[in-house]
Amino acid sequence: MDKPTTVDRRKFLGALGVTVGGTGLAGAGLVAGPQLVKAATEPPKGKIPDTPFRTGHMTFFTSPAAVLGEPSHKGHILAAEEINAQGGLLGKRKIETITADEAAGTDANVKELRRMKLEGKIDLFTGIISSGNTPALGPVAEELSLLTIFVDGCTDFLFDKAVPQPKYTFRITNIQSADGITSAIGTAQTWPQVRRIAHIHPDYSYGRNAAEHFTLALERLLPGTEVVSESWPKLGTTDFTSHITKAMSANPDLLYTSVWGGDYVAFYKQALRYGLFDKMKVATTLALGVAPHAIGKDHPEGVLAGVHSNYYFTYPGGDRWPLNKEFVQRYYKRWNEYPNFQSEGSYVTLYMLKKAIERANQLVGGWPDDEVIISQLEGMGYDAPSGYLYIRPDNHQGYKDAVIGFSKNLPAYPFSTWDPDRVITIPIRNITAPPSWPKPGQGHNESTAAADWIKKTWPKATG
Amino acid sequence: MSILIIQILNSLFYASVLFLIAAGLSLIFGVMRIVNMAHGTFYAVGAFVTAWLVGRASALGVPAGWTFLLIPVGAGAVALLGIAIEPLLRPFYRRAEEYQLLVTFGLLLILEDVIRFLWGGLPLSADPVMDVLPSVRFGGLIYPGYNLVVIAIGVAGAIGLWAVIYRTKFGVMLRATSQDRRMASALGLNVGLVYVSAFAIGCFMAGLGGAIIVPTQTAVLGMGIDALILAFVVVVIGGLGSLQGALVGALIVSFVRTAGIQFFPEVELAVLYLIAAVVLLVKPTGLFGTA
Repeated sequence: MDKPTTVDRRKFLGALGVTVGGTGLAGAGLVAGPQLVKAATEPPKGKIPDTPFRTGHMTFFTSPAAVLGEPSHKGHILAAEEINAQGGLLGKRKIETITADEAAGTDANVKELRRMKLEGKIDLFTGIISSGNTPALGPVAEELSLLTIFVDGCTDFLFDKAVPQPKYTFRITNIQSADGITSAIGTAQTWPQVRRIAHIHPDYSYGRNAAEHFTLALERLLPGTEVVSESWPKLGTTDFTSHITKAMSANPDLLYTSVWGGDYVAFYKQALRYGLFDKMKVATTLALGVAPHAIGKDHPEGVLAGVHSNYYFTYPGGDRWPLNKEFVQRYYKRWNEYPNFQSEGSYVTLYMLKKAIERANQLVGGWPDDEVIISQLEGMGYDAPSGYLYIRPDNHQGYKDAVIGFSKNLPAYPFSTWDPDRVITIPIRNITAPPSWPKPGQGHNESTAAADWIKKTWPKATG
Repeated sequence: MSILIIQILNSLFYASVLFLIAAGLSLIFGVMRIVNMAHGTFYAVGAFVTAWLVGRASALGVPAGWTFLLIPVGAGAVALLGIAIEPLLRPFYRRAEEYQLLVTFGLLLILEDVIRFLWGGLPLSADPVMDVLPSVRFGGLIYPGYNLVVIAIGVAGAIGLWAVIYRTKFGVMLRATSQDRRMASALGLNVGLVYVSAFAIGCFMAGLGGAIIVPTQTAVLGMGIDALILAFVVVVIGGLGSLQGALVGALIVSFVRTAGIQFFPEVELAVLYLIAAVVLLVKPTGLFGTA
């Protein structure tokens, strides 16, 4: 491989389109209308059956991951209730939901997916948090010809390898490699002086992916950084004392962690008592990814607080993007809590599907076949509460601008939230491999297309 | 140097909690000959009850220092739960192990759902207890004073349990029942009372483990299952039914885990199971097991 060219870091970050801003919706320049809750403009064509539209929502209802799973379910239910209040899909078909617990394990989840399709007669399968599950469920959904929109389970592996040519499967939240890269860009932008990096990640695909892409991107953005300590706790670990001491023993400038859910809550409470936050900067991928109220006000300020590079409910803030303000208000009214990125993802899932069904109906009349609905989902652009969301037709993956912020305690909320003046936004196209980029096994053996793309095209920053 | 001291303290801290869980598991097995799959969930119940009580007390304005008293209350609540549940399990003591595993696994699932029903999916914290005590300085590093209390409780638990079993009349009854239930019964021992007491003590130990750890972390769904697996590793190494085994097993697991984290991060997951596998190969009954 050619030696990477070098470029001034500020120019590099500028070329990546990185903006640090206030309440705005950086770079998008979109004008939002109240389209989410609005009824279909055109009356449905043809005869629409009034049988219920059955959806299966699988997410974590038990285990430490339930802090992400319950919001996913709540977002789904809110959207379903709103759509049903208008008569249902195409004004006729009410959305019904059956649920399953993702904590049952991958094998059991695959069986449950089959059962939902064959016995539950579902028309749509949705939900899913864990990257360990989508690569197992995706191929089965294709085999069952079951329309499936994963909310999360964001591993690159799903559409790189497991289902390289998806027909029935889609996914809403940003691709996983974007997570590590976003944290790396946030780090380079905020703390260009850091050199010694410590890592703590859950020992499974998500943690491995987050570590690899962070390190790849950071090597380009901050050449000369080195990994001085790493720990791989099991997912579901709640005792981090030894990991924390180990990280501190290496005297790092920065700790980067992708520990998430209930694990992260346990982690930050211990790290706080061990004085870790006083000794180093901390960058995360998912610190504020859980239900917002799960992170207490004891959480330190100024942590680069990831939300899976997707969405935090205070951004886009104020009146700049009414779709978000209204969504948060409706969600709060329904559940008496604030949404997280999973809530937003599962909410948007049903509304995107609704839009695709309405368009498909205009094309063919009556209740459209899955093939027609899929043709409308492919390439769909959508104004979501989080901003503009685009479903790429080649890999059925949702793309939206990546965001990350800094933790801060605001009087308005009884929990730690984002500093409204320091939200980092990165156009997603600048941190993900383009559509034509070869997948792993097609001329390269990197773990993801994104890794290969970074290695081959990113310059090294100087200065 | 200060790193070494803190890592040793971390290991002792972890061993204390593991010991409390594994000793209860071993005690119940020793007396009743059942492997209680729900044992880890008793630990979780202890954590949730304590965190909930501390939360309520703080909301009512109880000074943080007094919330320490809620730790034995949380553990005691689990003992009461054990007293209520033990008679329900009694018909299964003489059944094949498969029945016992299925029944106690069912109990685990029920209790997990009860926890979720009562306290929801959010982590529950008990910070005030932890923050009463100041931190201790080691070189440039700090160590939470509360963690030292946890270690002390672990040591006290080990001594207390040993004293009860080997230095009291009740301990003699316990050991007699464990060795030969029918003979003990024939000699006029109230075996049912011994059972329910042993089960309650085992549950108290697990509940105490949960109650003392929750201020340092949080009570989260699934914590009981994680603890159960580790407790199994401990008793496989130490020998099921042996108190010394639980103590030595907990120490081995904790120190090896910490050494793994510090020196071989890539194999942190594998190393514990590796030791368990080696022990199973060399001495299938565990280091202190007799069966």
